[in-house]
Amino acid sequence: MSLESKISILKDRAEMLSQARLFFSKKHILEVDTPLLSSTAPIDAHIDIMTTKMHDGRLGYFHSSPEYAMKRLISAGLENIYQISHVYRFGEEGHLHNPEFCMVEWYESPCSFDKIIDNTVDFIKIFLSGLPVKIASYEETLQKYTGLSLKNATENSLAEYIKEHSPEAPNDIFFWDIDTLLQYIVSFLIEPFLGNDELFVIKYFPASQAALSQVTEHDNLKVAERFEIYYKGIELANGYHELSDSAEQRTRFSISNKKRVELNKEPLPLDELLLKALEKGLPDCCGVAVGFDRLMMLRHKKKTIAEVIPMAWSEV
Amino acid sequence: MAQYSTGDVRPGFKIEVEGEPYNVVSNEFVKPGKGQPFNRIKLKHLKTSRVVEKTFKSGEKVDVADVEETKMRMLYKEADDAIFMDDNSFEQINVPLSLIGDNEQWLMEEVLYSITFYKGIAIDVQPPTFMEMKITETAPGVRGDTSGRVLKPAILESGAKVQVPIFIEEGEKIKVDTRTGEYVSRV
Repeated sequence: MSLESKISILKDRAEMLSQARLFFSKKHILEVDTPLLSSTAPIDAHIDIMTTKMHDGRLGYFHSSPEYAMKRLISAGLENIYQISHVYRFGEEGHLHNPEFCMVEWYESPCSFDKIIDNTVDFIKIFLSGLPVKIASYEETLQKYTGLSLKNATENSLAEYIKEHSPEAPNDIFFWDIDTLLQYIVSFLIEPFLGNDELFVIKYFPASQAALSQVTEHDNLKVAERFEIYYKGIELANGYHELSDSAEQRTRFSISNKKRVELNKEPLPLDELLLKALEKGLPDCCGVAVGFDRLMMLRHKKKTIAEVIPMAWSEV
Repeated sequence: MAQYSTGDVRPGFKIEVEGEPYNVVSNEFVKPGKGQPFNRIKLKHLKTSRVVEKTFKSGEKVDVADVEETKMRMLYKEADDAIFMDDNSFEQINVPLSLIGDNEQWLMEEVLYSITFYKGIAIDVQPPTFMEMKITETAPGVRGDTSGRVLKPAILESGAKVQVPIFIEEGEKIKVDTRTGEYVSRV
């Protein structure tokens, strides 16, 4: 699309970037700008990292999130920080994705899990004002939209459910693991219906999908203190009560790397500096990442993020 | 067999799913926050034109359909077949009219058609988007209205029935859009 047609949105984008900064400065949360390039990478089974060869022969990894570097700063004493950063994800392109996008990430300490949800809702409301908010657990949401429950779900029962309700599903679902099946159900049979007229918060994800959050017990289930916020079926935020246990963090890194190897992907180097920082001590804190471009897209009632960023990958 | 990664599949690619050949209409990338990414691919069956959606894990491989598109010249029509020739190899093939379907109305000798082969067998015949042909039958032309908005039926030399402006005469040559059957201009 033409740049000329984006001018008024880009002016609003500048305004919203300064509104975002104002939000944080009022809360005495400090802006930081950690490096985009690092010699280690965030390790996620399903997030692929872009690399570049550096002058000293080492591989530079473009961050897919500023999380690890920010946690090192928190451990060193900068407890309330935010970053508005471009992040990079290999292969992610579509109407809701661009391989490079703008993420707003922040951490608060001390902060309860419920408080970070409230604060994230407040932040989103700068962009999308006047929306009511609904908060439900993953289990409640799953039950409400599908009748399924984490308490008795098995690979087979989930695959049967998909087979019955999603004719476009592949034939090999009966060989999928439980998280992939749940992610399929959430992505195609629940998410599209979330938050039509409200901000919809899902909290307490299955413990197996904890990522970097703490695991706890809720409603007789082992769950992660992790939440996501949706509006009009689109995921806007992903936040955690942050894991601070260094040994547990190391275990999760190796689980993610093991999963990567199973998926025929390269395992990624561990960020020993992050692990050392966690060992030294990470104060009890909560953190969240919000997709700035998606907020702009919904604010301007657009269908693709290409319409609200200066230039998408297909335009440069 | 050649394969594509589901993430690389673009509209227009020809892929084979569960043994059937499809044309890719669209490919949507769907990714839950921290989870398994998927590609939801809309497919149009190359023979039946039926549109279906299939979901794949991103990065999975799909087979490239053994599909080839060739331009061939129509030589003549028989009772049940049309005979086409490859201008380079002079190879001739018979294509059943039943397969050509509605596009039979656009068949004209000496014109180049796009023929799609799946595993070596013709499965689709497409005419050029625009064709020029004579009107063999229509009511006499009416002078006065030259806006082109008032139309009357006409039959073209290929047998196609189209609507033309009322000022057009029998025997005149016109340009027609074969996708819609709409009159474009006089030639």
